[in-house]
Amino acid sequence: MTFEMGEETRIVQGMWDISTYQYMIDGRGMKLLVDSMKEKKIRGIKCSNCGTVYVPGPTFCRKCYIDCDEVVEVQDTGEVMSFAVEMADVRGNPVEEFKLTAMIKLDGADTWIIGTITGIDWKDARIGMRVKTIWVDEPVGSLSDIDRFEAI
Amino acid sequence: MSGSIGMPRERMLFELVKGLYDQLGITRHDIGTFVLNSNDFEVGHTIANVFEDTPVGAYMKDETHVDSEGLWATTYAAMRIMSGNYETALVVGNSSGASTMRPYLMMDYQLDPTIDRQAGLLNELSTAALQARAFLDKYGLDEDVLNQIAARNLRNAAMNPNAVQFKADATAGDVLESEYLYEPLRKLQCYPFSDGACAMVLASGDRAKELTDKPVWIKGMGNSVETYYIGERDLGSSRSAKMAAERAYKMAGISDPAKQLDVAEVAAKFAHQEPILAEALGLFEEGSAARVATDGLADIGGSMPICPSGGGLGAYVFTANGLVRVAECFRQLTGTAGDAQVSGAKTAVAHGQDGLCAQHNAVMVLSTEEG
Amino acid sequence: MRDVGIIGVGYTPVFVSKRKDVNISEMISEAVDAAFRNTNLTPDDIDAITYGNMETFEGVNMPHLWGADHCRAIDKPYMRIATGGTTGMSTLHSAYYHVASGMHDVVMAITWEKQSEGDSQVGLGGIVMPEAVCMAQFGMDLFGGKGMGAMGGGSTGAAAYQATSYLHHSGASPEHIDKMAALERSNAALNPYAHLRKKTTVEDIQATPFIAWPLRFGHTCPTSDGATVVIVASGDKVEKLADSVAWINGVGCGTSDPATGNFIEGQITDPAEQEAAKMAAAKAFAMAGIKDPKKEIDMAEMYNGFAHQSLMWLEKLGLCDEGQAHVMLDRGALNIDGELPTNASGGVFSTNAIGASAMNRPAECALQIMRKIEGGHQIPKKIKNAVSHGWGGMFQYVTVTVLGDEPRHG
Repeated sequence: MTFEMGEETRIVQGMWDISTYQYMIDGRGMKLLVDSMKEKKIRGIKCSNCGTVYVPGPTFCRKCYIDCDEVVEVQDTGEVMSFAVEMADVRGNPVEEFKLTAMIKLDGADTWIIGTITGIDWKDARIGMRVKTIWVDEPVGSLSDIDRFEAI
Repeated sequence: MSGSIGMPRERMLFELVKGLYDQLGITRHDIGTFVLNSNDFEVGHTIANVFEDTPVGAYMKDETHVDSEGLWATTYAAMRIMSGNYETALVVGNSSGASTMRPYLMMDYQLDPTIDRQAGLLNELSTAALQARAFLDKYGLDEDVLNQIAARNLRNAAMNPNAVQFKADATAGDVLESEYLYEPLRKLQCYPFSDGACAMVLASGDRAKELTDKPVWIKGMGNSVETYYIGERDLGSSRSAKMAAERAYKMAGISDPAKQLDVAEVAAKFAHQEPILAEALGLFEEGSAARVATDGLADIGGSMPICPSGGGLGAYVFTANGLVRVAECFRQLTGTAGDAQVSGAKTAVAHGQDGLCAQHNAVMVLSTEEG
Repeated sequence: MRDVGIIGVGYTPVFVSKRKDVNISEMISEAVDAAFRNTNLTPDDIDAITYGNMETFEGVNMPHLWGADHCRAIDKPYMRIATGGTTGMSTLHSAYYHVASGMHDVVMAITWEKQSEGDSQVGLGGIVMPEAVCMAQFGMDLFGGKGMGAMGGGSTGAAAYQATSYLHHSGASPEHIDKMAALERSNAALNPYAHLRKKTTVEDIQATPFIAWPLRFGHTCPTSDGATVVIVASGDKVEKLADSVAWINGVGCGTSDPATGNFIEGQITDPAEQEAAKMAAAKAFAMAGIKDPKKEIDMAEMYNGFAHQSLMWLEKLGLCDEGQAHVMLDRGALNIDGELPTNASGGVFSTNAIGASAMNRPAECALQIMRKIEGGHQIPKKIKNAVSHGWGGMFQYVTVTVLGDEPRHG
């Protein structure tokens, strides 16, 4: 049974205007986080019931289904939960410099963030390895106040 | 009057559903299955339910998502329970029509992309206007009927704490004075853009009786669809609403809807759709819209109250609307509809629609009697 | 519990990158017609229709309404389901419940995708568009990788992290991913309805560059245009209407939290943990009366957008112990003629019309049970019990369907 594609049918252009939405995002946890980063600290929210520490913090705990607002500080050191090495773009063209990015769980937090790890050969990267935050010299209260992570 | 709810969608859902659980004295762990209801184009998220799960308590739970309107989501939740696989279900739908800068686009993108969207003539308003004209011409009516219907809904909406568009002493004259959005549709004959959400807990027999003293039983469900092509439809009537109603009535043992039903919540987005749908549901004789309006038969105190909540003209949450219609019937049947209460209501019909000119319709019969 | 079985499957004649000769509704009608042909049923035999796809990929909202005529749905009960990548199986589950509820007897489930007509970047990006904008406003360098981020893993995204984590916890090596990839593409070469049908060796896979180590180009799935239609029926209707059947004995689904891109609310889930999958599988197996899946399941169709996922899902669904999937792969147990043929169809890894992908899995299981596979990938041994799996959302939705050659209940 062979299939033969029929003649190409007419093609018409269509546009889907997606920029028509007005979203509201609860920025409480994000604001708490970037404000703390200005001080080179990292703060999140802890659920008073189960103790889960979220960074950044949501307004309610998804496990206990209750509001949570207890502010806690976590360390700027952490552990690598997983990692990947960017080597080529979506078309297969190699990138100039391999980039080692990792899912990092900061000490004290139950959440993970993505960070770029520098200063080691990607082949030496290991799940469970310890990393520390390298802050920029003058943090301004932004997620980019963290420059990168380094192995310790 | 803005329909905007002024808080993030996720927070809106959390507060709504948590409030419902607290009201019933249950937790999210008491729900067997979660049926979410929203539309990607409406909320502006691919996979609309991705961020709706944790706010409704579905984290690490059995969950699915219906992309048709709320009445279909309710039907599916009921089916899941009827299979015997679950005892309880949460159905929750949400909409952000007021927070969308061009809300009609959600409907316009339903058009055939190859021809209709290119031609640019059909859209939510122009198709509704064609339907209004078809209806008026079919029965030799003039717009005064539509203005009366709209005014009645706006008056009812004034008694509804959830309404977005309302006027306590609205008259047909008020509606007449509102500008045309697309002739013959006047602004006050059309639904307002609304943000909102509606959540319901469904439960099987014994479990329902454990959870509340006043369960409202689903007695019948039915839905049907017509052809997409507007030119092939009789826009002055609703074939699919009629078939949907027949299926629901058959399941519920309703042979004379006008007599056996005490109240109806019909999902009309425009004033002209109310009589089209109400007649298709067998609530009034075909073509009787003028008499119904003049004699007040659809009033709260009339022989067949339609939309004591104010219906879609009071507030229209695109995808969740069917859930709202069921919820309004629930209020009527549990005697909690306040000033809009239809006295002694025992059996109600809720209706939901999808598609341009209500191409797709669903009907549900509800009753205080388990029987 | 009412018995419900799959009595027929219809595919579009091919799954390819671009069907230039038909529009969306025309393409879907090919699969609908095929389902009728394969079962000798007519539209009058169908009591209701369920329908699913990911609408943002083509930019058409409620396409089931435009396509109502093409789907022969006029005057029928009709419902649309959408759950991201696992839409296909959720749509089948909806059809299942239409029958299991007692309300209908014969229901058609229609799923499809025609991504060539839309912009997939828009479709995919739209999942977290507002969240991404918010993160950018708070100073996140979304793609540059500086600072505290949420998007990573290059073009493979979190799948790369999932793969690394899986390899670490299971003891499998990156070469095992290459091997699984080669196996599934070779299976697909036998399947006339697969998209990527070139017989592939491990060397071929290893010749492809890494996108984000450990994932190579050769580990990723295509995007396909195509549609899949399945007809289910109640037990008594099966007797009247069908000459063969694959019974749906267990269904389960589970939802976790959005595992990636959920930065704003805190990401707690390791995408390789898949607790929701364990939950969904346990439910489906219990419903089907399967007490020991390792022994009782004869074949598996896993939803694998990336080649490492086949191995991961086998473990998470309980078809083998943790850390054993690659061992089974090495000894040939996952081959078509092995003890647990996995993705004999080539999986999503070889054919991916997103809306249909999760329904192709139970459809293939059904065809295997009924011994109606066209092409060369019919599993030689008798299939008593099969498990199919679907996955979607942001690594959070899982659906499982257990099928059997006889009705079985727990």
